[in-house]
Amino acid sequence: MITLEQKKFEDIEKMTKGCGRLLVLGCETCAAMSLAGGKKQAEALAAAIGMARKMSGDKSEVLYDAVARQCEPEFIDLTEKEVAQCDGVLSLACGAGVQLLAERFPDKVILPGCNTTFLGVTEKLGVWSERCAGCGDCILDKTAGLCPIARCSKQLLNGPCGGSMDGKCEISKEVDCVWQLIIDRLTKLNRLEMLEEIFPVKDWSPAGHGGPRKMVREDLES
Amino acid sequence: MQPPCKLACPIHTEAREYVQLIAERRFEEAYSSIRELNPLPRVCGRICTHPCEGACKRGQVDEPIAIAALKRFASDGPWRGRREAVLPAEPTGHKVAVIGSGPAGLSAAHDLALLGHHVTIFEAMPVLGGMLRVGVPAYRLPKDVVDEEIEAIADLGVVMKTGVRIGEVTKVSDLFDQQYGAVFVAVGAHKDRKLAVTGADAFEGVVSAVAFLQRSNQGQDPKVGRQVAVIGGGNTAVDSARSALRWGAETVRMLYRRSKDEMPAAPAEIEEACGEGVHLSVLISPIEILGEEGKVTALRCMENRLGEPDASGRRSPEPVRGSEFVLDVDMVIAAIGQAPESSFLAEELELDQKNHRIITKDAGTTARPGVFAGGDAVTGPATAIQAIAAGKEAACAIDRYLRQESPPALDPIGPDERARVSSAVIEKTRKFERAEKIRTPMDRRLEGFEEVESALTEDRAIGEALRCLHCFLGAKIDKDKCVSCLTCLRVCPLQIPKTNKMGEITIDPFDCQACGMCALECPVQAIDMDLHPRGDIVMEMTAAVGKSAHPDPLMVGFFDLHGNFGASDIERLRQDHPNVLPVMVFGLRRIDTVDILKAFELGAQAVFLAGCPVEKDPFPETRQGLKQSMARTTDLLNALGLDGGRLALCDMPEQGLVEKTFIEDLGERVKEMAPNPMRAKEDKP
Repeated sequence: MITLEQKKFEDIEKMTKGCGRLLVLGCETCAAMSLAGGKKQAEALAAAIGMARKMSGDKSEVLYDAVARQCEPEFIDLTEKEVAQCDGVLSLACGAGVQLLAERFPDKVILPGCNTTFLGVTEKLGVWSERCAGCGDCILDKTAGLCPIARCSKQLLNGPCGGSMDGKCEISKEVDCVWQLIIDRLTKLNRLEMLEEIFPVKDWSPAGHGGPRKMVREDLES
Repeated sequence: MQPPCKLACPIHTEAREYVQLIAERRFEEAYSSIRELNPLPRVCGRICTHPCEGACKRGQVDEPIAIAALKRFASDGPWRGRREAVLPAEPTGHKVAVIGSGPAGLSAAHDLALLGHHVTIFEAMPVLGGMLRVGVPAYRLPKDVVDEEIEAIADLGVVMKTGVRIGEVTKVSDLFDQQYGAVFVAVGAHKDRKLAVTGADAFEGVVSAVAFLQRSNQGQDPKVGRQVAVIGGGNTAVDSARSALRWGAETVRMLYRRSKDEMPAAPAEIEEACGEGVHLSVLISPIEILGEEGKVTALRCMENRLGEPDASGRRSPEPVRGSEFVLDVDMVIAAIGQAPESSFLAEELELDQKNHRIITKDAGTTARPGVFAGGDAVTGPATAIQAIAAGKEAACAIDRYLRQESPPALDPIGPDERARVSSAVIEKTRKFERAEKIRTPMDRRLEGFEEVESALTEDRAIGEALRCLHCFLGAKIDKDKCVSCLTCLRVCPLQIPKTNKMGEITIDPFDCQACGMCALECPVQAIDMDLHPRGDIVMEMTAAVGKSAHPDPLMVGFFDLHGNFGASDIERLRQDHPNVLPVMVFGLRRIDTVDILKAFELGAQAVFLAGCPVEKDPFPETRQGLKQSMARTTDLLNALGLDGGRLALCDMPEQGLVEKTFIEDLGERVKEMAPNPMRAKEDKP
């Protein structure tokens, strides 16, 4: 999933100030699972913004709703009537959702209520961690299922570096050295010899370094 | 889904509802809930065999909720007089005769009167109440309680004639000539089965339990002997034995032919009897009554051992050869079963040849149109609640008969399937001790027929009601809204939600105990609760703020009902702190940031959440989460410029709602802050 966290209320209040009738729009997939932007969070945020407005004498209304995914045009289009009645939308989706909203509603102010953090997993309630950097060329087969692109601070392909101490990364004692984890796991699997193969220089163009990415499946495209 | 307590009750009493109302300290409403279905709530609160408790889910965890004791608490309290009487419907012009004034007859009369029919009860005995009066001893059921409940039925316009034995002069068929449109026969089972041993009829001092109890319960000295033997193992035997002790018998011995496990009497009753000094001799059968000069002097007995199970499923007694012995007695009370006294009906109705029971079809209809029957007369000796159920059922059938409508449809409530709680949930469920009964000490009991058991005290009753696990009032998941985020699985203190590979979440409605956590945390609002849903809490709060002007500083206090406080504590809070608006909730984890914001929006200067002491909390593992969510809300209030100090969390004291100085201190703190601008805005014209 894409993980998100809600922006600080102070920032949200500031960005939504003066933008008139506002729709707080939740996104009920990744944002909901991150407990940052589901309908429940949209309701609470709308209530808080509404209160802030009332206190400052701003009488404009704050509404809330949610759609299943803001990254799909069909879902966005279902909000057309609601959005039409508003001056702006505070999207609780990831950056992708916010932008699709902006695309579909060119004459409305579209604002982000969340920060998109990473592609990750839920460790437990309230704890998420990064696992994938979306580099476009997966190498997990060679690294025992542990990604050095997403999880090594230096994104080293032939690690570890000299900063690996007691299994931890030099940037923080809280951060595991993923190369240590890779070596441990390969040892356990009796496949340590895999590391004798040296990774060549990585082609970063599928990772977006060759400009914005787009994926077209000719076999599907209509 | 219906809770098991309700399904197990012959009249489908809303036990879960009144237990919850008691937990909410809404005693008057609890009484109304009971009285609506049951015209004899004070009787049932004392002598009901409470099948509800046998079905209670809590019973699978530790011990069932003391539902009967709670019924008594709710029905005995002074608030019962405040219930607004339900008035009978417009008179229908139909007359109904009810024969017998026991629980079946009384409840039929009650329901028929409410339906607008003119009811006359004919009672053969000089007193009303049937077995409630002449069968059950006063130490279990004081007679003023019976009087009061009968009076309330009479107040509906029911005419009650005592000393009229239908069948003697007036026959059942004559009643139709007297313009009665229907007759309900509920004559009970007042005829004793005779002891089939040599000498049973030969001596003075050998009496039947029914006759003995009839005298005893009407205050007539039954002239007990010094050494009394009671034969039988049912409740009537126990009642006879305990009564005999109270009339001054030196030794009372109950003789039962099987073992204690097979005794039909309620185990609690047997225990009480033994505690009071009744000797219990099991696996003993009398074989001959011996006497001198016409008076009983001894009982020849034989020992038994248990053989193969008989038709009733109980192991049958087999005499042990050569085990005969003689017991010195000067009184024998035979309590070996009763049958209806139905001979007067033999010509008019179909009777079961063996037990003389009246044969009925659905809803009490008999072979003769317009004549209905129910209670012990039909079933043989059974329980009060079964008799009440029969009376109510017959009332419904009679009403339809009189209106010339088809007989009532069968009860739509399905059979009680006795759902099982999963063992994992049982293990995680916090155990709470069942309220102890309050009884007269053993050494003071035999002085007379004063009631042995007292009603639960208010704090015990509330504590007991709070043990309820709220069957089927818990989480309901809307599958169309659910996005399989798994939050419910992660927050449930009992780990009840389950998922399959496709993310389809199921929450077992019987396992769930309605703590509210999943509903609170679900990010897509796909879960709701039937017990105190958040929407209701907010509505209640909004209505209360609107209802009266609260002096400044207005504070909304959310109180966890699991705290140790009574109805009067709430009243006192309202009096002492009129600026505090109390909102009572089943657990503080039902209160969300939005609800707290709503309170401030309504103008509260402060909001506080008062949590029950940890030892009373059924879900102590949720307390940490509450603190975290309060911190989040406090940050939000600060960001809003409202000062997070307006929001406070406090623990309830051992006794009462909040520590004495808490509200004053919070009030002082709030005074130092700038007033809540939402309030200021409201005040402006």
